[in-house]
Parts: sequence; C-alpha cells; structure tokens
Amino acid sequence: MRAKRWMMLSVLWVLVSLAGCATTETVEKPYRVSSQGTVIWEDEFEFSPPPLGWKLLRPETGGDINFGFMKDDPGGFPSMTSFAYDEEPFGCSTQYEGREREFFKRFLFNAILEFKMLEKKKVQVVGGEGLQVDVEGKDPIKGEKVRARVIFGKRGDRIIGFYITQWRPIDGTYDMSAFDDFDKFVKSFKFLKKSFYETL
Amino acid sequence: MEGHQRNLYLYERFNARVLGVSRDDVTTLRYWAKGLDLTFPLLSNVTGFLGVYFQTQPDGKPIFGRRTVIIDKAGVTRYVRDGSPEYKDILLFLKKLNQEGGKK
Repeated sequence: MRAKRWMMLSVLWVLVSLAGCATTETVEKPYRVSSQGTVIWEDEFEFSPPPLGWKLLRPETGGDINFGFMKDDPGGFPSMTSFAYDEEPFGCSTQYEGREREFFKRFLFNAILEFKMLEKKKVQVVGGEGLQVDVEGKDPIKGEKVRARVIFGKRGDRIIGFYITQWRPIDGTYDMSAFDDFDKFVKSFKFLKKSFYETL
Repeated sequence: MEGHQRNLYLYERFNARVLGVSRDDVTTLRYWAKGLDLTFPLLSNVTGFLGVYFQTQPDGKPIFGRRTVIIDKAGVTRYVRDGSPEYKDILLFLKKLNQEGGKK
C-alpha cells in the first residue's frame, strides 16, 4: 500500500515538474522598445505604439496581416476597433487606383456589406505618396455598421496597406479618437531595411 | 493564386512562367480569374488526369490536393510542396534555378 502511494506520488511529481517546464518556457517577443520609446518590430519596422488600452494583435498562423492592435469599445457588441499593417493587402495591382478597386472587392467580404465611399485623398506615407480611402458599411439586417480607413503606400515595387475598422451597433456613434491613434501610428511607421522582394 | 499574380514580375525576372491547374470547368475558371484579376493561364483539368500524373489525386478518387510543382527547362520536376504556396520559398528556388541556368 505504502509502495503504491509512493509510486503515485512520484508520477504526480513528474507531471507537476513537466507542467512547470511548460509554463516557464520563454517565448521570444518579436519586438523591442527603443530608447526613444518607439517599437522596433523584428528589426524591420519602427513605429510609435498606440496609447494604453490597445492590445497587440497577431495572426496565429502566418497569413497576410503582419500585426496590429485592437480594443473593445463601450456600447456592447459589436463595438470594437482594430487596426493593422498588412504587407500584402488584397489585390495585385502596383498602381493605387487599381489596387483600391481590387481591395474593396474583398475587404470584409464575409460581412457582406455595401460600402459607401466617404473620402479619398492622396497622403504622405512611409516616405512617399500614398492613397487614403475612408468608407462606411452598414448591415441593416444584423443592425451593425463599420467605418474603415485604408491607407495604401509603397514598399519598393509593391503596395502595402494600413487599415482601421471600427464596428458599432447601427445606431451607435463612432469614436474618431481611435482614428487619430491610427493616423499617428501610420505617420510614425518606418521601414528599417529592404523587404524580401527588394533584395531578390 | 493572387500571390502568384502579385509575383508575376519577379517570375518574369527569373525566366519562369506560372500555370494554374484546377478541376473546375472553363466557364467557372473564366469568372474566377476575372474576379481575382488573374492574367496568367489557368488549365481546366476536369477529368483530373494531371492530378493523377502529379500525384495530387489518388487514382479514381475525386479529391484534389493543393501542390506546387516547379519544372525546369529540361522538363525535370525540381520542386514539389503540398498545401498553400510558400511564395517566398518559391521565389528563392526560382532565383537559384535561374542562376543555375545562367551558368550553363
């Protein structure tokens, strides 16, 4: 009986030890903070992080979006805002007008929204001329709406994108301060080295 | 497929051409290509014989897996990968293959 109890305790100890191993495993962060307070992401991008309240967002398995930030907003479902940097936004064209048309064929395609263009203008982004497009989509059946800003820029020959989406109940009010945070993030964004495609 | 379309100018640089193969019929592929703005050729392989040839489809079964195959100028299969295309891996391989070709 005593031997049996010892054996069970030993097994339990091994299990506890392994559990400890799993929890103490260190996961290397893909970023570091510079002395100026900017974020250096994988030694490739540098940007000013958004203020407190925004949580880091990363795709679990690769995908097109590199990284982004999100926050839950007051006001109940679906109130939330997220923004991201995307190295390969939908579409193929290397010209802004073409890419914009291709992009909006697929952007939020699973929400089946009809987008209304609010504003389109040229902007300065990542050291060159870019295109900013503001849209709003409404789903009266689900009682939801979304406001989005998409900024296309260039990295070498290829188009990259930044976008923010803010979801609200259909009678909700948008919080434009989140768009200001996004604009500051985009304005601060720099490439620290050439992209994979530029080095080929 | 959209990724291949984005990389066409690089494939051109490495003297490579891309072909898509699908079990869909020609009409479906035509609409699909239009929807995605694809400009490279898509082959309609309704009977699945290419799938059997490239071993992506077990003979007599309607399953058609996704496989990327690179064939060199001599017709030798040099690269085979299953699943979604690893575009960067493909580009690096094509670059290497093109450099090999340049040395000959």
